[in-house]
Amino acid sequence: MRLEIIDYAILALYFVFVLAIGFVIRRRVQSSEDFLTAGRSVPVWITSLAFLAANLGAQEVVGMCASGAKYGLMTAHFYWLGAVPAMMFIGVFMMPFYYGSRARSVPEYLKLRFDEKTRVLNAASFAVMTVFSSGVSMYALGKLFQLVLNWDFTNSVLLSAAIVLVYTFLGGLTSAIYNEVLQFFLIVLGFAPLSILAVMKAGGWKGLATRLPPVMTHTWSYVGSASENPMGVEAFSLIAGLGFVLSFGYWCTDFLVVQRAMAANSMSAARRTPLMAAFPKMVIPFIVILPGIAAIALSHMSVGYSLPPKDGGLDYDQALTTLMAQFYPSGLLGVGLTALMASFMSGMAGNVTAFNTVFTYDLYQGHIRRDAPDSHYLWVGRAATIGGIALSIAAAYLAQRYNNIMDVLQLVFSFVNAPLFATFLLGMFWKRSTGHGAFTGLLAGTAAAAATHGLTLAEGKGGWIATIHQFPSTMAQNFWIAIFAWSVCFVVTIAVSLTTAPKPESELHGLVYGLTKIPHDPAEPWYRRPGPLALIVGVALTILNIIFW
Amino acid sequence: MDDLRIPIGAFFAIVGVLLMTVPSARAPLTEVPVNLYAGVSMLIFGGVMLWLARRRS
Repeated sequence: MRLEIIDYAILALYFVFVLAIGFVIRRRVQSSEDFLTAGRSVPVWITSLAFLAANLGAQEVVGMCASGAKYGLMTAHFYWLGAVPAMMFIGVFMMPFYYGSRARSVPEYLKLRFDEKTRVLNAASFAVMTVFSSGVSMYALGKLFQLVLNWDFTNSVLLSAAIVLVYTFLGGLTSAIYNEVLQFFLIVLGFAPLSILAVMKAGGWKGLATRLPPVMTHTWSYVGSASENPMGVEAFSLIAGLGFVLSFGYWCTDFLVVQRAMAANSMSAARRTPLMAAFPKMVIPFIVILPGIAAIALSHMSVGYSLPPKDGGLDYDQALTTLMAQFYPSGLLGVGLTALMASFMSGMAGNVTAFNTVFTYDLYQGHIRRDAPDSHYLWVGRAATIGGIALSIAAAYLAQRYNNIMDVLQLVFSFVNAPLFATFLLGMFWKRSTGHGAFTGLLAGTAAAAATHGLTLAEGKGGWIATIHQFPSTMAQNFWIAIFAWSVCFVVTIAVSLTTAPKPESELHGLVYGLTKIPHDPAEPWYRRPGPLALIVGVALTILNIIFW
Repeated sequence: MDDLRIPIGAFFAIVGVLLMTVPSARAPLTEVPVNLYAGVSMLIFGGVMLWLARRRS
């Protein structure tokens, strides 16, 4: 792939705008809360697009396109079965507790609702995870640009990290969120033409459906048993594992996304954030998954396109970039690469701004220096921004040098994350659940996840204790790990809670269902109320699932 | 100046115009002037953003 002056001009223009937004926002940052929580002052259309963009990192875009090529339209389950229902749930049911508690972070909610040890467990694991995942995505970006453009790994990693550093350091969360909105539009407008061009070349949707095996163009038709579909999953583990445990665990408890909604300028706006975000979320599969499906169809067509081979199969990860090379002339190619760069930056800035908040409020203020003036915490927040980015860069090099270590770490992270939603569900909806219950539940859930992985085998993964079961795919294994972790955490939390003393009800106001006034705002027009919005999202979602059944 | 629609609108308007300066560029598998189409769409999108921002203030 060769770039012309115009492509570099578009990339440079983007950098100028991103930095300019940082410089303008800097004037707004007076206190640590301005810097770390955006002062709870961001309008809802901005928070909802940032809610999406923070998750729409480069790995997500490249990975979803690769999954589209590998698994077909079933990949859309990550959106239409997973993300969107979870976004409806957090908007309608959970946001009143997050926003109403006045907590500045998700771990801080756990502190208010349960106790200090539960908060530290969550905050510490979250802080480590965000740094590593931003490092891993930085590594992925460096490798990708090395592969397709021959850019030097170190240069592209350091340049992109430096730009993210400047704008997050200057304007904090507000700056990250504002840039995420620009990045969101760039990702959509930069990748949508690729989807349109690739699908048109393959003969439109009809062309895809006739050229490919039917499993590639349906979502639900082939999930009766694991052997019918390339994902190797059956309906129960798909619905319970992906649709419930993993998606609700991510979209409803991960501070990276929840932070965007908590930055909204009112309770009503915070609740509408994930609901408004659900509309574009439903459409994103057409932009990121469809090109991958089209890539396979084009490979069958002898039009001069084929996915590059890898280890006897196909290199699905290259689906997006090889399509861009074939369909984007210089000019649009610059836009596409800038969109890739933007998706990387939005993911990284999301991680960094979540990390610095958790570090400053939950770890530093909670344990190192409790009663300092606010200007001190602003300073710590800025220092944590630099520290977080420096650690991410270190993690990127670690990933480059020792790929296996990163695989193990990501596996451990998935064990820690799997049970989380059980803790939040019980914390928010059962006032009898206790801090001891939550803490032991989380540990037991993580242990159950590790044990499931150690006792089962899928595609050669797992089974490091013994093999008592074989899964048809690692995807099925992951879903079942999540299901077991969630169930164990749920049961253990209840059991331990019943034998330990509950928090007095007077300390639970605003934190638990039944002791919190759920806002109903009948004065608002219907399109600004969470209930009707969620209903529309639900109807649209059902229609999508039926059309592409 | 704090209206986010202004920088977003300006960015896409400029990118749109830039794309329209190279309407004849072709990639191996495209026969149509995609730069022109994408450029016009982005210019319109940027324009709408700027118009919305202007109308409010």
